[in-house]
Amino acid sequence: MTRVCLLLSLASALSVATAQAQTAPPKSPSSQSNRGAAFNKNSSFEQLSQAADQAREENRDEDAVRLYGQALRLRPNWKQGLWYSGILLYRKDQYPAVRDLMRRFVAEEAEAGPGWALLGMCEYQTREYARALDHLQRTRALGLGDQNKMAESVFYYSAVLLTRSEKYDDAIALLFAMVKSGSHTDFLTEPIGLAVLREPLLPSEIPSYRHDLVRLAGQAALAEDAKQPEEAERLFTTMLANYPNEPGVHFLYGVFLLDTRPADGIRELKRELEISPSNLTAKLRLAEHYVKDEQLDQALGLAKEAVQLEPEYAPAYLVLGEALVEKGELEKGISALETARKLRPETVRTHWDLLRAYASAGRAEDAKREKEEIERLHQPEVRP
Amino acid sequence: MLAVIPLLALLSLTHSPVASPSQETFEEIASQADKAREGDRLTDAIALYSEGVRLHPSWVDGWWWLSSLLYEQDRFSEAQAPLKRFIAIAPKPAPAYAFLALCEYETHDYDAALRHFQEWGRRGSPGNDALIDVAGFHWALLLTRNGRFVQALYLLAAKAHKLGPSPELIEALGLASLRMPYLPEDYPPERRELVWLAGKAAGFLSTNSVSQADEYARAMQLHYDKEPYVHFFRGTLFSFQKDWASAADEYQRELQLWPKCGPALVELAFARIETFQPAEALSPAERAVVLLPEDARARYVLGRALLDLERFRESVEQLEAAKRLAPNSARIRFSLATAYERSGRIADARRERVVFQTLKKKEDAAAAHPHEETASPQQMEHP
Repeated sequence: MTRVCLLLSLASALSVATAQAQTAPPKSPSSQSNRGAAFNKNSSFEQLSQAADQAREENRDEDAVRLYGQALRLRPNWKQGLWYSGILLYRKDQYPAVRDLMRRFVAEEAEAGPGWALLGMCEYQTREYARALDHLQRTRALGLGDQNKMAESVFYYSAVLLTRSEKYDDAIALLFAMVKSGSHTDFLTEPIGLAVLREPLLPSEIPSYRHDLVRLAGQAALAEDAKQPEEAERLFTTMLANYPNEPGVHFLYGVFLLDTRPADGIRELKRELEISPSNLTAKLRLAEHYVKDEQLDQALGLAKEAVQLEPEYAPAYLVLGEALVEKGELEKGISALETARKLRPETVRTHWDLLRAYASAGRAEDAKREKEEIERLHQPEVRP
Repeated sequence: MLAVIPLLALLSLTHSPVASPSQETFEEIASQADKAREGDRLTDAIALYSEGVRLHPSWVDGWWWLSSLLYEQDRFSEAQAPLKRFIAIAPKPAPAYAFLALCEYETHDYDAALRHFQEWGRRGSPGNDALIDVAGFHWALLLTRNGRFVQALYLLAAKAHKLGPSPELIEALGLASLRMPYLPEDYPPERRELVWLAGKAAGFLSTNSVSQADEYARAMQLHYDKEPYVHFFRGTLFSFQKDWASAADEYQRELQLWPKCGPALVELAFARIETFQPAEALSPAERAVVLLPEDARARYVLGRALLDLERFRESVEQLEAAKRLAPNSARIRFSLATAYERSGRIADARRERVVFQTLKKKEDAAAAHPHEETASPQQMEHP
C-alpha cells in the first residue's frame, strides 16, 4: 500500500470538501497575492480561505498550508480548512500536526469516517497504538462509502494493530477477509504470519531472527486458505524443520493436520503444549477434537485449564460448555455457554450450541430466542 | 490504556459566579453552555463556556467544563490553560492536577506532567476509579522514563492485579521490569518482542500465576540472554518464589555480562542474606553502594550484611544512610534498632522501635488492601 494511493483516495473521499466547494474564488487576486504576500492580519476569512483553496488546487502546497493555517486562526472550527490542512501535512509526514487537526475535525464531524481514518493512521505513525486502533475501528463502524483503497488501508492498519493488542482471532478474520476481497497477498504475508503465530508485533517490530519464520507461517496459512494443501504441507514441514522449538509452530501444523490425519495433528498439538504449556488455542483445539471424538474427560480437563488461564476468553467457555453438554451436564454446560455468549455475543456457534442445549433442557422459549438471534446475525452458514 | 474518562461526572461543582454588570448576558451564556453540554453539542458548549469565562474569569464551573470538554475531545494542548486557571481558583482542585498531568503527558511536557502527578499523589490521589486508573498508569510510565522502576512496578502491578494485564499494561510492565527508561511510544521497535515477553511474565506474576510467568521468562531468555537486565529479571522471578539459589545464579549471570549492574549486585547480596551467607553478601553489597550511593536498598543490604557479621558501628552508619534515603521504611527502622541495640545505644534503639511499630502498622494496613487505588508510589519506598 503506497501513501500516494492513500492520499488520492483520501482527497477524493472528502465529503466536507463539497460543502465549501462553491465558495467563489477571490475577486481580483494577483498571482503574487495568491502566494500570500497580500494577506496580512487584516485579511478576511473569506479572502484567506479562497486563496488557500486556490493554492491547493494549483498544487502550491506550502502556500496552501500557510493560508489554511491563517484562515483557521480566524475560524478555528472551519471543517474544510482542517481537512485540507490535514491532507497536505500528511503528505509531508507531519503526523502529530495532522493528528491534532483531525481531532478538531472529528469533533466537528463525528460521523465522518474518513476523518477518523486519517486520525487513526496518524496515531499509528505517532505510535499511539491503542488510540489508533480505537479510531480505526470507529472508522470501520461508520464506513467509508466506496473508498476502496482507503478502506484497504484502514483494514490493514486495524488488522496489524489487532494483532499487536493480542486480538489474534479478530486480526485473522480481518486479514483473510482482505485476501478474499482481492488484496495483494504479498503485503499481507507477514501480518498473517504474526497473527497465526500469535505474536503481538507489528511487521516493523519483527526481530531479524524471526523474519523467516513469520513469512513461512504466513505463506503456509495463505496456501491453506487457498486450498493448496500440498504447498501448505511443504511450508509447514519446512517451518517445523527449521524451527522445531519455537512457540506456535507445532500448533499451526497440528491444526492443519487435525482434519486429515488426526493422530498426527494431536501429536503436534501435544508437542506445542510441551513447548508452551499456556498456549490457550492449542488447549482449545485439542479439547474441541476430544469433544468430537467423545473423549469428554480429556476435553473437559483442557477446557477448564483454558478458562483458568484466560477467564475473559469466550472461546474457552464455548468449548467448556460443549464438553459439559456432551457429557450430559446440561445445566453447567448452559451456564458456560451463556458466559461465552455474554463475552462475545456475535459468535453464531455459541447461539447454535445454546439453542440445542435449551431444547434438550425443555426450555423452548430460550431456544426460540437463540434461533431468532442466529437469524439476526445472518450467518447460519458459519455453523461448524 | 486510553485516557478516556467520564470526567464530566467527576466533580459536582456548585460555585456561583460573581455578579457583575454583564450579569444578564453571562447568565444567559452559562445556561446555554450547560444546555449545549447536556445536549451533547460539545463544540457549541466549548464556545459558550469560553465566552462565559471571558465574561466572568472567576467562574469555576465554567473553567472546569471548558477544560473537561476539551480533554474529552483529546484537545490536550488547549485544555491546559483552563485547567491551570481552574486549579488556581477552585477550592478543591486536587483531581484537576491529574487531568493537567495527563494533558501534559499527551503534549510531551513530561517533566511538568510528572510534577503534577506528584502533586496529585501528595493530595491523596483523589478521583473516580477511571481517573485513578488512567492517571496512575501514566504516572507509572513517567516514573519508568525517569528510571524509578521500582515505584513504577509498584503502581503497574497493582493495576494489573485489579484490571487484568491488558496489552498496554503488559508493555509498561515489560519496560519497567527490564529497567528500560522509555515510554511505550519511544522505545526501539526491534525490542518490542523482548519487552512483551518480560511484560507477560511480570503480568502473570502480578496475578500470582508463577508457572506462566516462568514460561514467558524462559522464552525471553532463549533469544535475549545477552540483553541487559534479562538475567536480572529472571532472578527477581526466582526471588519472588524464594528460590534464592536460582536467583543468585541469575544475578551472577547478569553480572558476568554487565559487571557494573548495581541492581544485580544489590539483589545478589539480598539472596545471600536470605540464605544466611552474610560474608558472601558483603562484597556485592559494598560494590553496590559504591555504584549506587544514593540507593536506600543498597545501603540497607550492606547494613544488614554488616549487622549479621557483627560489625555494628559500620552497620549503623549504612542503616542510618538508608533511613535518610527512605525514612518510611519499617524494615530499615527495625534493622537500625537492632544495630543500635547491639552497639549499646539503647535509647536510640528504643526510639527506632517505636517508629518501626508505627510504620509496620501502616504497612500491614496497606498489605491487607494491597491493590487499593489510594496507593501512590510515594508510599513505595526502598527497600
